[in-house]
Amino acid sequence: MSGENENTMDNTSPQESPDGAEPTGLDSVEKVPVVSEPVAVTRKRPESKSNSVSMEEEEEKAPEKKDPEPSEPKSPSGWGSWGNWGKSLISTASATVATVGHGISTAIEKAESTLGVPSPVELSFRSNVEPTEDANASDSPAVPGGESSSPMAGALGFLSSISTAVQSTGKTVLTGGLDALEFIGKKTMDVIAEGDPGFKKTKGLMNRNSTLSQVLREAKEREEQRVGSAAETQTHGKAHYGLLFDEHQGLAHLEALELLSKESEAKVKSILSAQPGEKVVELKTELEPLKETFSLEEFDDDDEVEKGDEDFSQEIASLFASLQITVRPDKLTRARKAAYIWMTEVEAKGMEENAEEPETETSGKKKKATVEEIHDLAIHSLAELTACSMELFHKSATLILHGETQVPAVSRGKALSQMTITLCKELSLLSKKVTTLLTTTGALEKSDVLNPLITGVFLEASNSASYIQDAFQLLLPVLEISHIQSQT
Amino acid sequence: MEAIWLYQFRLIVIGDSTVGKSCLIRRFTEGRFAQVSDPTVGVDFFSRLVEIEPGKRIKLQIWDTAGQERFRSITRAYYRNSVGGLLLFDITNRRSFQNVHEWLEEAKAHVQPYQIVFVLVGHKCDLDTQRQVTRHEADKLATAYGMRYIETSARDAINVEKAFTDLTRDIYELVRKGEINIQEGWEGVKSGFVPNVVHSSEEVIKSDRRCLC
Repeated sequence: MSGENENTMDNTSPQESPDGAEPTGLDSVEKVPVVSEPVAVTRKRPESKSNSVSMEEEEEKAPEKKDPEPSEPKSPSGWGSWGNWGKSLISTASATVATVGHGISTAIEKAESTLGVPSPVELSFRSNVEPTEDANASDSPAVPGGESSSPMAGALGFLSSISTAVQSTGKTVLTGGLDALEFIGKKTMDVIAEGDPGFKKTKGLMNRNSTLSQVLREAKEREEQRVGSAAETQTHGKAHYGLLFDEHQGLAHLEALELLSKESEAKVKSILSAQPGEKVVELKTELEPLKETFSLEEFDDDDEVEKGDEDFSQEIASLFASLQITVRPDKLTRARKAAYIWMTEVEAKGMEENAEEPETETSGKKKKATVEEIHDLAIHSLAELTACSMELFHKSATLILHGETQVPAVSRGKALSQMTITLCKELSLLSKKVTTLLTTTGALEKSDVLNPLITGVFLEASNSASYIQDAFQLLLPVLEISHIQSQT
Repeated sequence: MEAIWLYQFRLIVIGDSTVGKSCLIRRFTEGRFAQVSDPTVGVDFFSRLVEIEPGKRIKLQIWDTAGQERFRSITRAYYRNSVGGLLLFDITNRRSFQNVHEWLEEAKAHVQPYQIVFVLVGHKCDLDTQRQVTRHEADKLATAYGMRYIETSARDAINVEKAFTDLTRDIYELVRKGEINIQEGWEGVKSGFVPNVVHSSEEVIKSDRRCLC
């Protein structure tokens, strides 16, 4: 299959739904399905079942073990329950919930591997078809009855423990279904723009018992445990976003940024409480335009064209110039360059293979990058770019608070907001490019091999965009205190 | 597998501006010496695994702080979550040695209720001809505060490994003896995952696998 398959999520047609519970209403979906291999029914992968399930999840699932064949893939109610499950998971997800998405992605993957659920593509259709039920379904996370609710309960227990740890704004980044993740940036921006004029969200984040970096750190630790146990039993060396993000010091920079943000917020509060009434009103009106710069406006990434290295570097550099801080975004631009270098290489190799001898698989597989390799490279690049973005925001905060230049807080807010959009667009472009690569490279792969990889890339790209937006929101109190201090 | 380590220790590196904190850390984590480097902005992060005994690895998360006065308030916030610290001075800069006391006082004031195991590091020992602080007086000061003293050079890679591993071993001993404990909400010491040590989970996994076969 060559590049004509632009919409990578469409590579499986819903009509080929394997589980006998074909959703008939799907014909009304406007998308033209591209015919490809049938989706394999069973997603049981014993090796990942024994290794990737951590101890606590084992415990959660233990009571359900007596249930007969919970992973029976042909059960029609399994399909229905999955639909509900998917929706309730997805509807309670907010941009922030999505930040623990590798938890979610793990859960989805696990659910896929243990339940024999429909492919992500079908899931996305499913949730598109019944948007009206969303409001009701999302209120009750519990799956209504049915013998196959037990494995759901296990998965839900895991998920709800995640979602209680994070703020839920009620709006969803994933409502549109997984196919909509293609417009990650846009969708995620919707969330912020709709539900949140910036400030509330940040406050919510702060007031919670656990901060974003804590949630991420815990998730990473769980991942480490899994990797540890996987290493022992010598399984696949799959890329782990959380570990890679930490390896590039993304967590540390995020934690440091949170610290600065909290301190600034406390200072703002104490200054405001020490002022006489009319002065407070005055200050608050002054801070209003600043807050507005933090309500990221919806942007359209349809017209986005791929930028060259130079363009991207220049755009970031000029944004930094308007911040007037002495930080150079070299690491970020290097990481982006590296990502494009490997993608070009993979692309070129794929071309060669196709041109030479597309028939002989054995000789071809040696040189050509496998879909797993592409997936791993993509996850690595996403983690690295996001970590670099965390570093940039952390350094920006540091220099806004302790730098030597005075720039109006609103102009800095605008530059940082633009930077957030640029970074998110970049991640969205990267994930699109990678999934195109995955589809062309994996044309011969079974969709149960390919789809989880594609879903993985989209989810981590979405998570990355959420981390960046959350980090951006942490800068608001920093700019507020900087503004207040510049007035006095 | 890289990810396997027994504990993670968070270390903080402090000392006057330009004593060579970042260069020492880069030599340790990246194995090279940067001739020119920009002053650290706020704080930077590095990490590396250290093998203290065969098969026993500790992950070090190193917080490289800015020496510049204007970032001091930021640095203060980081003492609390560190279990160990390298306090650097430049042996060719007497002033940086005199400030050691001040750095320790500051650390003590902000680490409560926890404690930090410090090592005193006389850096740039390759520049012996320009030495302004004798080994003897540095030793004496370190002893007075109950610290180790070690002289290092990032440029010539002298004692860099030793400075970090000795400190790591000291902390490990304290953890082993139960004098330092892993605590909820404290980032100083975190436990890692080691299959050889965590017998219970190893057994769980193994028995599981047998069932499947």
